[in-house]
Amino acid sequence: MKRYEMIVIGAGPAGLSAAIEAAQSGLEVVVFDENEWPGGQLFKQIHKFFGSREHQARTRGVKIGQNLLEAARGIGVKVVLGATVLGIYKNKEIAVRLEGEVRNCKADAIVIATGASENMMTFDGWTLPGVMGAGAAQTLMNLHGVRPGKKILMVGSGNVGLVVSFQLKQAGCDVVAVVDAAARIGGYGVHAAKLARTGVPFYTSHTVVKAVGAEKVEGAVIAEVGADFTPIPGTEMPLDIDTVCIAVGLSPMSQLADNAGAELVYDPAKGGYVAALTDEGETSVKGLFCAGDVAGIEEASSAMIQGKIAAAAAARDLGYITAADFETKAFGYKESLAKIRAGMFAPGNKGRTDIVQTDEGYPLSESLLARGFLSDAEAAAFPAAGIGGGGGGPRPVIECTQNIPCDPCQDVCPKGCILVGDNITALPQIAGEKACSGCALCVGACSGQAIFLVNETYEDGYGTVGLPYEFVPLPQKGDKGRALGRDGGELCGAEVVEVRAGAAMDKTPMVVMKVPVSEIARARFFRPESEGGI
Amino acid sequence: MRIEKHPIIDDYGKGRLVCFSYNGDEAMGYEGEPVAAALKAMGVDTHRYTVKRHEPRGIFCAIGRCTDCVMIVDGVPNVRTCMTPLAEGMAVETQDGLRKAGEAHEAL
Ligand SMILES: Cc1cc2nc3c(=O)[nH]c(=O)nc-3n(C[C@H](O)[C@H](O)[C@H](O)COP(=O)(O)OP(=O)(O)OC[C@H]3O[C@@H](n4cnc5c(N)ncnc54)[C@H](O)[C@@H]3O)c2cc1C
Ligand code: SF4
Ligand code: SF4
Ligand code: FES
Repeated sequence: MKRYEMIVIGAGPAGLSAAIEAAQSGLEVVVFDENEWPGGQLFKQIHKFFGSREHQARTRGVKIGQNLLEAARGIGVKVVLGATVLGIYKNKEIAVRLEGEVRNCKADAIVIATGASENMMTFDGWTLPGVMGAGAAQTLMNLHGVRPGKKILMVGSGNVGLVVSFQLKQAGCDVVAVVDAAARIGGYGVHAAKLARTGVPFYTSHTVVKAVGAEKVEGAVIAEVGADFTPIPGTEMPLDIDTVCIAVGLSPMSQLADNAGAELVYDPAKGGYVAALTDEGETSVKGLFCAGDVAGIEEASSAMIQGKIAAAAAARDLGYITAADFETKAFGYKESLAKIRAGMFAPGNKGRTDIVQTDEGYPLSESLLARGFLSDAEAAAFPAAGIGGGGGGPRPVIECTQNIPCDPCQDVCPKGCILVGDNITALPQIAGEKACSGCALCVGACSGQAIFLVNETYEDGYGTVGLPYEFVPLPQKGDKGRALGRDGGELCGAEVVEVRAGAAMDKTPMVVMKVPVSEIARARFFRPESEGGI
Repeated sequence: MRIEKHPIIDDYGKGRLVCFSYNGDEAMGYEGEPVAAALKAMGVDTHRYTVKRHEPRGIFCAIGRCTDCVMIVDGVPNVRTCMTPLAEGMAVETQDGLRKAGEAHEAL
C-alpha cells in the first residue's frame, strides 16, 4: 500500500495551502480531488476578494487559485485529479477511487479540505429543468462560458447570491429579482449596492412559491412571507423568468470526518455538523485535521490560513519543525485569521439582526439592508460617502458603510487620502487635508465597487462622477445615456467624458460621466442610450 | 447561450469545435467541455425523464453530485453529462427512465 507523510483531501484554497505549507516543511504530500479541475471554488470566483494585502485582497479569486497551483507545483506537491476519496479507515488509511478503480493508501497525517455542498430548498416545480444551484450557474458561465439562462430569479441574498447575481449580469443575463425570506439582505451591503444600481430589484421578506412550466421553467411566483417565513396569501407576484438560481446557504461536507470516527458537533454558525476541532484544526482523531469550509462555512481567505495552521501542526507532530517554530508561524497565522474574522459579518455574528449601528456609532442604513441601496439621506450621513461642499477637482466618495474586513482602498492610494487604520473592519475615512490626484486607483481596487470619484467643478453647472464599470461593451468617450441613481432608477441625461481602463485598474475600468451638479450626490451608474438595460 | 464577450474572462481555454450527435441530429460543441455545457449552449434544457413519473430533469448542480443531468452517451445510460468531456463523434441521447427516449413507445 502506498504510504505518504501527508494526504490532503480537496484541492481548494484550504487543501492547496495545507499542501504547500507541509511541503515547505519537508513533508511528502499528495492532494486528491474528485474534480477534473483543481482550485475548488476559486476558479469560479472572478471578483476581487476582500481582506488585507496579506490575504491577497483586491486579487480576483481565479488569480489566487492560479497562484496557489503554481506554488504547489513549484514545491513538488502532487495533485491527483479525478480522485474521489470514498472513506477514511482506522490508522489513517483512505480509499480513493481513481480511473474506476478503488485503491487504498495511508498517511501519517490527513487534512480533510472537502469544502461545502449547496443547500437546497423545495417548492412547487423545483425539479424542473431551469432550477439550479447558484454554484451550477457559476460553473456554467465562469468556467464554461455558457449562460445558464436569459432571465434569472435569484433566491437568497447572502454573499453567494449577490456575487453570482452580479456575475450573471456580467455574463449578459437579466437578473429579474433577488428574493430573500429574511427581512435583511444577508451579504455585504457593497455587493448588494453594485447590483441595485444596475436596476436589479431586491425583495426581502419574500420567497419563491413556485416555478411554472411543463418541460422547463417558464416563469415563477414569489410571495411575501410572514414572521414564520410562510407565504402570506394574496401577496403572490408572477415573474417572467426562465431560470431560478438557489443560493440559500452551504453545508460543510463533514461525511469523511464522521466516517473516520471524529467527533462531530452541530453548530449553526458554522453551517451545520462539523468536526469538533482544536484551534490547530485537529479533530478528535490524532493526526486527522479539517480546514476550510468543511470546518465551518467561511471565506477562501480564512480557508487558506486554516490549511496552513493544520499543516504546520502536522509538521510539528511529525518532527519536521520544532514546537517553537510552530508557535512563531501559528502566531502570525492566527493573527491574520482574527483580522478577517472580525466585523458585523464575522462567523460569530451569523444570523444576528440586532446590529443597528457601525463600530463608529453611525446608524446602519436600513435601506441598504432591506432594498440593497443607501437612500440619499442615509448616504449623506456617512462622512466618507456624503458630499460636503468639496473644492475643485476630483475627490473620492466612499459608499462603504458596514464594518467588513477590507482595506485595499487605503493600501492603494498613493496620496494617503483614504484611511482605514490597522483595524481593517473600520469604515474608510477621507483624510480631508490630502489632495487627491484623481488617479482612480481606489476606484479600481475597491473590492466592493463602492468608490466614486466626483468633481463638482467640471464645467459651468456640470460636474462629473467616475464609477466602476465591469460590463461589456465598455462605454466610450462621447457616448450619451442616462445616469442612474443608487436604486437603479433613471435620474437624468449623462455623457461619458473619460474612460480609464489601464492595466492598473485590473479590469475594473472607471467610466466618468458628466451630469448636472445637482445630481452629483445621486448619480451612481451609467446606462448607454442604445440599451434598455445591461 | 454562449458568452461572446466577457468583461473579466478573456479566454475559456476551449478545445477545437467538434461534431457530435444529439438524439441523432448533428450538433457542435467544443472538445473537452462538459457535454452538459455544449447542450446548454444549444438551448437544450431537458436531459432525462424520471423513471416513475416521467418528469423532465436538467442541470442542477453541475459538479457531478445530483445525477439530474444523466443521459445516454455512446449507448451507455446514466452518464453524468456535467462531468463528461465532449469528444468528437459522441452520441448523446435523452434518457427516458432507464431507456432511450421514444423506445418505450416503439416497443408498444
Ligand atoms: C459565489 C461565491 C463567492 C465567494 N466569494 C468569496 C470572496 O469574495 N472571498 C472569499 O474569501 N471567499 C469567497 N467565497 C468562499 C470561498 O470560495 C470558499 O470559502 C472556499 O472556496 C473554501 O475553500 P475550501 O478549500 O474549504 O473548499 P473548496 O474550495 O470548496 O474545495 C473543496 C475541494 O474538495 C474536493 N472534494 C470534496 N469532496 C471530495 C472527496 N470526497 N474526495 C476528493 N475531493 C473532494 C472538491 O472537488 C473541491 O475541489 C465565495 C464562495 C462562493 C460560492
Ligand atoms: S483617486 Fe487616487 S489619489 Fe484620489 S483617493 Fe483615489 S487613489 Fe487616492
Ligand atoms: S471602500 Fe475600502 S474597505 Fe470598503 S469595500 Fe472598498 S476597498 Fe474595501
Ligand atoms: S447536474 Fe448534478 S450531476 Fe450533473
